[in-house]
Amino acid sequence: MNGPWVEKYRPKTLDDVVGQRHIIEHLENYVEEESMPNLMFTGPAGVGKTTTALALVKTILGEYWRQNFLELNASDARGIETVRTNIKNFCRLKPVGAPFRIVFLDEVDNMTKDAQHALRREMEMYTKTASFILSCNYSSKIIDPIQSRCAIFRFAPIKGQDIAKRLEYISEQENIDYDESAIEIIVYFAEGDMRKALNLLQAASSGEGKITEDKIYNVVSKARPKDINDMITKALTCDFMGARDLLRETMVLQGTSGEDMVNQIYQDVTKRAMEGNMDNEVYIDLIEAIADSDFRIREGANPRIQLEALLTKFL
Amino acid sequence: MRWTEKYRPKIFDDIIGNGKQKKEVETWVTNWKEGKPQQCLLLVGPAGTGKTTFAHVIANEFSDFIELNASDKRSYDIIMNTVGESATTKSFFTGENNYRLIILDEVDGIHGTDDRGGTRAIGKIIKDSIHPIVMTANDFYSKRLTTIKTKCKVIKIGKVHTNSINALLKRICVKEGIGADPEAVRVLAKGANGDMRSALNILQAIAEDSKKLRMSDLEIVSQKDNTNNIFDSVRRVLKSKSIDKIKNSLILDEDPTFVMEYIAENIPREYEKDSEIKKAYDMISEADLYFGRAQQSRNYTYWRYASDLMGVGVASSKEKTYKKFTRLTGAMAFSLMSRTRGKRSLRDKISEKMSEKLHMSNNVAISMFPYFEIMFENDDVAYDIATFLDLDEDEIKRFRKRKIPKSVIKRKEKERQEYLAKNKLESKSEENLPDSFKTIKSPSQDKSSEKSVTSPSKAKKSNNSKKLDESKTKQQESSDNLIISDNVENYKKNNNSKENNNSFVESKGNGSEVDNDSIAENKNNTSKKDSSSKKDNDSKKTKEDSAQKSLFNF
Repeated sequence: MNGPWVEKYRPKTLDDVVGQRHIIEHLENYVEEESMPNLMFTGPAGVGKTTTALALVKTILGEYWRQNFLELNASDARGIETVRTNIKNFCRLKPVGAPFRIVFLDEVDNMTKDAQHALRREMEMYTKTASFILSCNYSSKIIDPIQSRCAIFRFAPIKGQDIAKRLEYISEQENIDYDESAIEIIVYFAEGDMRKALNLLQAASSGEGKITEDKIYNVVSKARPKDINDMITKALTCDFMGARDLLRETMVLQGTSGEDMVNQIYQDVTKRAMEGNMDNEVYIDLIEAIADSDFRIREGANPRIQLEALLTKFL
Repeated sequence: MRWTEKYRPKIFDDIIGNGKQKKEVETWVTNWKEGKPQQCLLLVGPAGTGKTTFAHVIANEFSDFIELNASDKRSYDIIMNTVGESATTKSFFTGENNYRLIILDEVDGIHGTDDRGGTRAIGKIIKDSIHPIVMTANDFYSKRLTTIKTKCKVIKIGKVHTNSINALLKRICVKEGIGADPEAVRVLAKGANGDMRSALNILQAIAEDSKKLRMSDLEIVSQKDNTNNIFDSVRRVLKSKSIDKIKNSLILDEDPTFVMEYIAENIPREYEKDSEIKKAYDMISEADLYFGRAQQSRNYTYWRYASDLMGVGVASSKEKTYKKFTRLTGAMAFSLMSRTRGKRSLRDKISEKMSEKLHMSNNVAISMFPYFEIMFENDDVAYDIATFLDLDEDEIKRFRKRKIPKSVIKRKEKERQEYLAKNKLESKSEENLPDSFKTIKSPSQDKSSEKSVTSPSKAKKSNNSKKLDESKTKQQESSDNLIISDNVENYKKNNNSKENNNSFVESKGNGSEVDNDSIAENKNNTSKKDSSSKKDNDSKKTKEDSAQKSLFNF
């Protein structure tokens, strides 16, 4: 099935996982010992947390992995209710044909503190029958009691050369012609995020012919919401209301998360400065403001309100 | 008996205050009685000023009345059933001028979701009714009134003057035999702030038994919270600089974050200088931070800081008070949300499908949308991804404007059918096997595929030239992959559904039944495994057919 490549080319075994060697080696020990502690994978997006977890689960649980594995990702309801019923029900049962059962929870940092506390009880109660793998972007958002119950593995952004190798491999699989420089550009824009790299590659390859540098630039500029650029231009030209409307549309309608918005605003501002369209002083003031908003959003403030406030800094 | 009921005026003459409005209402009633149908009446004003009293006094003038107030559920159906019919029909036996008054109390309190369609029903009744209608509302600016108020004769009922309330209280004190300190009565009247109901309630609470009213008594009963209208508060914050007034105006019966949204919304509408907007928004951002902290830590004392920041902070961000009239609006972000409900739910439906099949959260899925838009420009890729994710037509439309051409769909489906047919021939022998055998067999098959995945990929590390091998592996992997998602789905279903095997087994709850569980689940999975074994065959097939491998991935 020729679905999205992010899934088609998801490594299936620990060996195949790209990068993260030191982590994989540790995990392979668990496979040998047929036991593992609760794990927490933390790191930025697209570096292989979910992939590693799935590969580990399959290897360690063997042929009956499906029966002994529960995956709940962030879009499933994961309030206290789920933790107390679904996860509990799963953990209560004895493992069948495997040494233990595994629960995989994605983006735990987006769970409420209350749900995290409920989860911590489950982690304690079923140590004999079940292990947990948690993944998150920021371990700082996880309550201490959970952190202390886990072996924490920090995933680093994937190295450029590793991404490049993977892209070349996939291109050959798909019979796609490419320029070396195009791969380089993808690696540059991916910033260590394999998912982004694959999406770029697949999007660029959906047109006719060979993948060139230009095509990548084209995809990047199309995929980057134009609204952000317009919004910043509006704010810089003192049309605050117009900029604010665009911000709301992007966030409410398109559903762009606060974090993504901050990233894109940062990139756009940087681009303007690099192209010489912004004074150093103005630039650094804006960066300070962006950093401040970023920090506050992570502290739990309302992203939209914070970004509206950020826009006033451009006036 | 509550004094507010006991002393509720029965005729126009007894109504206190609002003289002009009283006349208007009287004319309205007389006109009806003379057989001249009038527009329906909308009485707007703060609580306790006599709107409902007005309505009931009017009711006494007519032969019959029906009332629907906030305590009743008021959805479209309910309103139409209770009031709708009587609004358009006339009693058989009554004379020509015998109208039935329809009273709709507190129409601005019609709830958006619980009373779905309520405002629509009222609009319809206003249009169709042959009987007089009186409606009351507190908040003239309420969203729910926007359509209604254009069709009505609006009469604004003002606060009752302190002196009038004072006189009323004195009169009641005499009637009830209360020895009242005139000063205390005056303070009570003033504190009521135009709200007669509140004044009467307090008086009754203090003096009904003791028959006395002293200054010291007033201290124990707290005055009614002066809840303000949200727009009044926002206007106060933006127009005033007096700490006292601003702090008072923020005593509101609303979620404070909601108030903050309203203030933020209107900052750039009122403030003109960029520096003012900047400063004011700084305060909002700071307030918001404390709201966030309050919620996270459950320490709601933070609210007071937030409230000061968004109130006094925003107020003192202006250099001077602008002498202009600003049309304040509600928080546009909220109305944007309700306007775009359809689009957002489409977005969420897609991202849900993605999150299940691609092991990612909704947010990550949404971040892939722009790439999908580009990929979907290619008909074949669009078809492949749409099939993989099981997208319906509307969902495909989210990524491309044109439908996928029929010819492409036909071709793709044919390819798939042909492929499946070819495959069937080969797997026929296996399909004839008894079910039980298959169930046992399939997991081991899985295992073998798993192993074959592992070994060549290990070789890959040492030797890059084995690319052919790898391509085979890939095929297996991708089919394998489908199985994963199928099973995850299956698992989720198992875990969610109430009749699921897990909970059934578990309710008996002991170790020996665990095996049952696995059998049950195996049965559940049998069908899936069937298809999985087919897929394994697919991939074997693909090895031989490497030229067409990219086409036949099904």
